[in-house]
Amino acid sequence: MNGNGGFDRRTLLRGSMLAGLGILGAGSLAGCSGGDSDKLILAYNGDATQQKAFQALFDEFQKQHPKIQMKATGIAAGDWGTFANTVSTQIAGGKKFDVVDVATEGQLLLASKKVLEPLDSLIAKDSDVTDEFFAAIPEQLGKWTKTYGSPDGKTYYIPGGYNTVGMYLNKEVFSDAGVELPETDWTWDDFRSAAEQVKVKTGAYFYAAGYGFPFQDILPWLLTNGTSTLNDDWNKCLLGDDAAIEAATFLKDLIADGLSPKPGGEFDAPTQFARGKLAAMPGGRYTVLDINRIEMTDKTRVVNFPSKVSNGTPVGWDGWPIFADSEKQDDAWVFLKWMMSPESSQFYAEHGGTNVPVRREVAESKEFLANAPEGSELIGKAIEFGTPIPSPAQGAKIDDVITSAWQAAILGTKDVAEALTAASKKVDALL
Amino acid sequence: MTSALVTESDARRAPTPQKTRARRREAFAGYLFLSPGLLLFLVFILGPFVAAIVLAFYSWDMLTEPEFAGVDNFVGLFSDPLFYRALGNTAIFTVASVVTHLVGGFVLALGVNRLVSKVVSYFVRTAIFFPFVISWAAVALLWKYVLDPNFGIVTYYIESLGIHPPDWFTDPNWALPAIIGMDWWHTVGYTFVIMMAGLQTVPRQLDEAAIVDGANAWQRLWFVTIPIMSPTIFFATVITFIGAFQIFDPIQIITPNGGPNDSTISVVMYLYRQGFESFQVGYASGVAIVVFVIMALVTALQFWASRRWVHSE
Repeated sequence: MNGNGGFDRRTLLRGSMLAGLGILGAGSLAGCSGGDSDKLILAYNGDATQQKAFQALFDEFQKQHPKIQMKATGIAAGDWGTFANTVSTQIAGGKKFDVVDVATEGQLLLASKKVLEPLDSLIAKDSDVTDEFFAAIPEQLGKWTKTYGSPDGKTYYIPGGYNTVGMYLNKEVFSDAGVELPETDWTWDDFRSAAEQVKVKTGAYFYAAGYGFPFQDILPWLLTNGTSTLNDDWNKCLLGDDAAIEAATFLKDLIADGLSPKPGGEFDAPTQFARGKLAAMPGGRYTVLDINRIEMTDKTRVVNFPSKVSNGTPVGWDGWPIFADSEKQDDAWVFLKWMMSPESSQFYAEHGGTNVPVRREVAESKEFLANAPEGSELIGKAIEFGTPIPSPAQGAKIDDVITSAWQAAILGTKDVAEALTAASKKVDALL
Repeated sequence: MTSALVTESDARRAPTPQKTRARRREAFAGYLFLSPGLLLFLVFILGPFVAAIVLAFYSWDMLTEPEFAGVDNFVGLFSDPLFYRALGNTAIFTVASVVTHLVGGFVLALGVNRLVSKVVSYFVRTAIFFPFVISWAAVALLWKYVLDPNFGIVTYYIESLGIHPPDWFTDPNWALPAIIGMDWWHTVGYTFVIMMAGLQTVPRQLDEAAIVDGANAWQRLWFVTIPIMSPTIFFATVITFIGAFQIFDPIQIITPNGGPNDSTISVVMYLYRQGFESFQVGYASGVAIVVFVIMALVTALQFWASRRWVHSE
């Protein structure tokens, strides 16, 4: 204070610094719960449509377990990276979560941070529920959840729905071009031949090659040619392999020959698909929402991704963990057990979820396949030849390197082999 | 002795207890009025600033406890080639932006200032300023459509001239220039308005006196208009530099992966990637500190240099 009883500039400055440090401290995992300490706090990724389906599911849980107060927050993040970013920022700001829906890409990363509770003892304790559940889901999911979502062999996630990538074909464009629709499987040669015929007969693009969404733009092409971005142990990059170079060259030629629009612009694939200007779109179960929106459900057929060496698709799945610092772990486990139940899987499927339900019988049920294009069951079945989407802890940086290299390769701004080999070295350095 | 020199009038001026209380009340009221702004400053500027300085010396992923890392973040930063690429792109963007905005804004202001019709003048002023009020997201999407390699209107007209246009946002040689052009279209209106205001400060008598002395238009511009407008030009230079160096929105929207061959990644985008994609908050804070230091140094340099060319009277 100054001689007049007020505050001098130095005092104010000192106060400001202290306040600044206080804010820093408050932001550093202060652990305040945000006034919802009596509720089970859950966060999940979903746009408005998905939130509707999820909320219906949670409402149903609340009906059956009225004593558990739940606050479910849907985050319309668009992609899993943004979702992880939003949740992490909220945690850094002191928000506590009991359960968070985590995609494959974030499972290992989160588990390795030691912020999750191992579920093995709970799974063993309620073996009547869990044994039945793990017997009812694709065998791979149970195995992969433990292999790829855990740094120490413990179980941190209950697997939720999953997605693979297939090809959505516009039946009218195929018909107009006089090209026979594949039933289930087809090859890269069939694909190329159909693309040329469609271009000549209708002028439409056949396929919109891209690079921004590796799950459907890059990985299917690699996996159907017997390679991937990373090896099975996620510790070596395979992008410089001949098979990867061949895949990128195949797409580069599609663009150069006018069979695919040039990527990087505002070519909206669903809109062009509906207008008959695009014959084929890659996609998973999430694509059904677009197909319904553009009113193409009856005019579309889903087939497996075209193959060069063998069938292949990446697989991504939801994992439901319990946070280690949750004070509602019992309630959280009740919720996870309910998520494992046949009725919740059925309920979610009927309400238009964007994942393939984790239970096989629900994934193949009429209710789930209603209001979806013919062949939609292939998206669920593709898990049989699927490969988990490579998701090492350094995933975000690696994705940046891979997408940049793939962009340069298919656009021809760099030699394909040069771009992919250089990227492979960069990724190896990151791994 | 000092006390012997105290006069009666001094004694009358000495604060009475009532006056001291009044001053305290006045000071309290003053700080009360100041408090909303001060609180916002503390929470949104000083607090994060102090936090960034502290965090720059920590390794923190936002999920687990921060760990002291010493200068590791800075060592990592200065040995990352991508950081230099980002810094280089930002420097190119900033220089191009400052030069084109100042020249463009000044020339546009000179032109509009000469318009005789008030109606036309108001229309042109509004038209030039209008893009500035549109959000960056809308501007970025608009230009993505205009320059689309498949159906963009610019692509169409250039092709109709028999010229093969570049793929603006996917060609590493064109992506940054395209964004520089887009940024100019969006924000030159702001520089234009500043320059228009500056032009009003040029006394007509000086211009007329120069004409009487036989000065031609170029000489009047160079020796009368620009010197008198120099404080305005200086202000525009500083503001444009600070804005340009922080470029992020259009680059993130149009080339979210940093552009072809990292040709558009800016230093703020690099910071964002480290902080919010790789969750290296300490590292990102280190980038923020480096950006702050660069901006402070360049701004200080601008102020120092301004003593040589800015006429403050």
